[in-house]
Amino acid sequence: MMSLLKDPVLLAAALGTSLPFLSMAVILVFTRQNQRLSATISVGSVSVSLLSSLYLLITLYGAGAPVQYEFPWLLADDIVIPFGYLLDPLSLLMLTIVAVISFLVQVYSIGYMSGDPGFSRYYAFQSLFAWAMMSMVIAPSMLQLFIFWELVGLASYLLIGFYYEKWSASQAGKKAFVMTRLGDIGFFLGLIILVLGFGDLSIVRMNEAGQGHQIPQYLITISALLIFGGVMGKSAQFPLLTWLPDAMEGPTPVSALLHSATMVAAGVYMFSRIFPFYSMSPEAMALALAIGTVTMLLSSTMAMATYDLKQVWAYSTVSQLGFMVMGLAAGGYFAGVFHLTTHAGFKALLFLCSGIFIHEYHTNDFRIIGQQGGRKLMIPMVCMTVGALALSGIFPFSGFFSKEAILGVLANHPNKLWLGAGLVGALMTAYYTFRLIFFMLFPRGVAAAHGVHDAKGSGHGHDDHEGEHHGYIFWTMAVPVMILAGISVVLGFSQSSLESFLMGHGSVPAQLAASGGEGHAAAHDGHGIGHYALLIGAVTMALGGIFWAFMEFGRKGATQEGFLRAFPVVERLFAARWYMDAFLRAFLDKVIYSGLTNVFTRNDRRVIDGGIDGICFFTVAGGRLLSFLQSGMLQYNLLVMIVAVGFVVLYFLLA
Amino acid sequence: MTPMEMASFPILTAILASTIVGLLVIVFIPDGRDKLIKQVSLAFSAVGLALSVWVYLTYDVQKGGLQFVERYLWVKGLGIYWFNAVDGINAPMLLLTAVVLFTGVLTMWELEVRVKEFFAFMFLLVAGVYGVFMSMDLFWIFVWYDVSLFPMYPLIAIWGGTRKEYGGMKLTLYLLAGSALILPGIIYLWVQGGAGTFDLFELQRIGFTPQVQRVAFIMLYLGFGILAGVWPFHTWSPVGHVAAPTAVSMIHAGVLMKLGAYGILRLGMTLCPEGLGYWSELMALLATVGIVYGAFVGLAQTDLKYVIGYSSVSHMGIVGLGLSTMTVNGINGAVFQMFAHGVMTALLFSSVGYIYDKTHTKMIPELGGLSRTMPVASAFFIIAAFAGIGVPFMASFWAELLVFISAVKTYPVRGILAVSGLVVSALFMLRVVQKTFYGEKNEKWEHIPDVPLFLATPRIILVGTILFFGMFPRVMLDVIQSAVIPFVAGLSV
Repeated sequence: MMSLLKDPVLLAAALGTSLPFLSMAVILVFTRQNQRLSATISVGSVSVSLLSSLYLLITLYGAGAPVQYEFPWLLADDIVIPFGYLLDPLSLLMLTIVAVISFLVQVYSIGYMSGDPGFSRYYAFQSLFAWAMMSMVIAPSMLQLFIFWELVGLASYLLIGFYYEKWSASQAGKKAFVMTRLGDIGFFLGLIILVLGFGDLSIVRMNEAGQGHQIPQYLITISALLIFGGVMGKSAQFPLLTWLPDAMEGPTPVSALLHSATMVAAGVYMFSRIFPFYSMSPEAMALALAIGTVTMLLSSTMAMATYDLKQVWAYSTVSQLGFMVMGLAAGGYFAGVFHLTTHAGFKALLFLCSGIFIHEYHTNDFRIIGQQGGRKLMIPMVCMTVGALALSGIFPFSGFFSKEAILGVLANHPNKLWLGAGLVGALMTAYYTFRLIFFMLFPRGVAAAHGVHDAKGSGHGHDDHEGEHHGYIFWTMAVPVMILAGISVVLGFSQSSLESFLMGHGSVPAQLAASGGEGHAAAHDGHGIGHYALLIGAVTMALGGIFWAFMEFGRKGATQEGFLRAFPVVERLFAARWYMDAFLRAFLDKVIYSGLTNVFTRNDRRVIDGGIDGICFFTVAGGRLLSFLQSGMLQYNLLVMIVAVGFVVLYFLLA
Repeated sequence: MTPMEMASFPILTAILASTIVGLLVIVFIPDGRDKLIKQVSLAFSAVGLALSVWVYLTYDVQKGGLQFVERYLWVKGLGIYWFNAVDGINAPMLLLTAVVLFTGVLTMWELEVRVKEFFAFMFLLVAGVYGVFMSMDLFWIFVWYDVSLFPMYPLIAIWGGTRKEYGGMKLTLYLLAGSALILPGIIYLWVQGGAGTFDLFELQRIGFTPQVQRVAFIMLYLGFGILAGVWPFHTWSPVGHVAAPTAVSMIHAGVLMKLGAYGILRLGMTLCPEGLGYWSELMALLATVGIVYGAFVGLAQTDLKYVIGYSSVSHMGIVGLGLSTMTVNGINGAVFQMFAHGVMTALLFSSVGYIYDKTHTKMIPELGGLSRTMPVASAFFIIAAFAGIGVPFMASFWAELLVFISAVKTYPVRGILAVSGLVVSALFMLRVVQKTFYGEKNEKWEHIPDVPLFLATPRIILVGTILFFGMFPRVMLDVIQSAVIPFVAGLSV
């Protein structure tokens, strides 16, 4: 306790991460009935977290070495599980991202969730998430990271299934939990193998030992490949990606916070956390690169075939996560982390803007929102366009800088295939993003649709909302959105200062370079002619995508059908997520439910129980047999024997 | 063996006496005074709980070894001792028993049928359980073991539910079969020992020949294994759980199954370390099959109690797997899991008990949407389900972690298979939670009140226990470890 008070850094770390836990407990146990108080407690605690993380960032900005605290949590023979904090540039950056977006989303939710019967529960779960996520981010050991990683998954499950009365919502929550669990099994096994083979899960020591060739190569490769399973689950990489679009069943602020900006980025974060270790295995890096690429391309195609506002952003999140993994796997430590940072900002922005539209028009279909005059909501429309420009990678928005950084890394990769894929991805991203924007900006068939909705009292509803626009509900939603839009405009220009912070002393790559590893990550940002060619190429792709979308959806007289309409098979393929869900469903039904489950259950009833009953039968039959033998009724003897033999045969047949 | 200090006050006998005196008092209360009977039961179970907590807290971890020892020669010719003691392995078990009994009595607060007989039988059952856990004399262990089995049949057949006679009979026959293996095992060891003693530790010092150990171990393993729900001798347990009334299911799955695992550890593994070495591969195999198989069969169940029953089969497999590794952390994890699973499964049954009392059904398809009508009652089940899935900060997470680390080390293939079973167990638990508690509000249950605070007490205690040991695992593990480290050191000698 004393050390806690003497050391302001430790105090800030402890307070910032654990207050949300207290807030959750208090809300669940005491203030469930009082919505206002619950929100106050939760927002209050996350504000403290925000202040703590900013304090830590400022205090430790120039710190030479990572600051680490560890306390023994569990001592089991040779296994020591510490609980503590690791404060280095990467964790400070991520902590700040999480705190900022959590804070904004919680403020936004005051408006968005107002009037919901589960309001207090919502804030309890938000606090649970904030606690778990921040404790995960500053975990000093992989095991602590894993523990909070699982808790983050729990928070995600609870928040996706928040509207539990809706079957699809609880279904989506279950799917998310089980699918990420599948990846986590790999993660867990990877950690176990590391514990057994290396004996230490401290992130710092793991990275050092990996770089210093103190861990056998095969061990690095096996554990890295297994740990990547965790990344695939949490960050929705192929083939575990379909849970993320389904997770959009949760309230929109949840989608903004968990399923785009922070939680799903945890996989990428974990990857960068052990990047020096991971990069020692070329095989694992190659696999990650391939998976990232496939994920990015597949989900981009899916985004082109949906009319659901949130689904578009969800697919785009998957694809951008794939893009980050590509960047990291190609050796671009800074590029990957930088894209994570900018993406957190602009994707949260896009979701929160969508939330305002959804709150206003009670539909997720962006065609209908457009037809009902969505563009009249100036603040969210402008902010959403800012987010869309950032997502497409247009100068001077933040996405431009980070995408450029990743493409730069890919360009330096010996195999140019990856660069090509990255450029195609940029094209598709711009296309599907602006397909949505143009649908909302230039709606067709307004009159027809308007009549319908007027009759349903849409005009009347609009009057209500006019009042709302000046009320606190609108502003609690609009202000966070504007802040995020501002961030998306300026964040890109902080590239060099962020780079020196992340790559500076005490950072992971600095150790990497010091130990003479393959620390060529920093070397990627050459400013040669190739760089400018790439710059022009990427911008051309993005602008080309926007122009393409404009031709099909934006310009006067555009059919708003899109080129996919000409290829119905392809469109169906994209819309059905490449039949990944159908495959999964079939697998579950055929292999799990009617396969193994059924076989085992029948085995239980027929063979095991049947066997026991058989023994009883034999006992009784044996007694009868003896008595019949004495009475000399041969036909009965025969009958009993035949039945008995038949039973034996049946038993073996069923076994 | 470490030198023993005799306890100045026979606190263990006092724990045992709390149930037996309680039983006698209950018997002499006139019929019809149901309220009084319940209060008396609660009081006596509270005495047991207080004493067990006291023993747990004052157990000196630094010193380790046997503490609170009471050892008196009882029958000289046969070498039977009244020998009770506590070490790091049974201290958590006593605590578990006390917690489950106390919460079980509270859970049955609304019982109306033959109240007196019910609580009398329940106290008899728990007397046996306490006895097995605290006794260090083979004769007494067997006696108490049979004492704990005997009340099961009436408890199920009279107060039970679904197919109660079938379930009760099946359970009784299975457990008696187990008992029929254990008794010869014990006698065999007594004869082979030749020292004319039933004292566990004197027998341990004799050091049986490998041949004897192999034979004795498999008998004890199978005998106790039936009770521990070892695959393929597990089918009695879901059927029995389903048939039994709530508190009996709690004691049964929460404590009685642990008795089996405890017996394997205390008798089989202590007396026959070489027999363990010989059979450990089989143990690991059966345990792994149990983990995966239990989870899959759990997927197909439509009765809430069957689901819990099969989850118990799966979770007890983790105990077996941990024991079979013969490593410190494997056994640490196994004992921890015995405790954690006991509390968790008691919570599951207790929660289902309330739902069943109010809706008169435990069929999943008939339920649904319960979270809307009874959020608090549902929350208890959901929390327990998460404990079952192995979410961190729940007691069982640590236990599973330790077992899996050791299992992957000792038996890589089986360990990995067992870990993969976690996906299935997550799937089947979440499936039950979804179908029972989520979904549209069910008109049929709209009139049902949420669980009132008093009736929620047992569940609050159980949730608190799960979370406490989940957050501060050292409070449990340091105690367990103080016994397991010397135990494993003894195995390798």
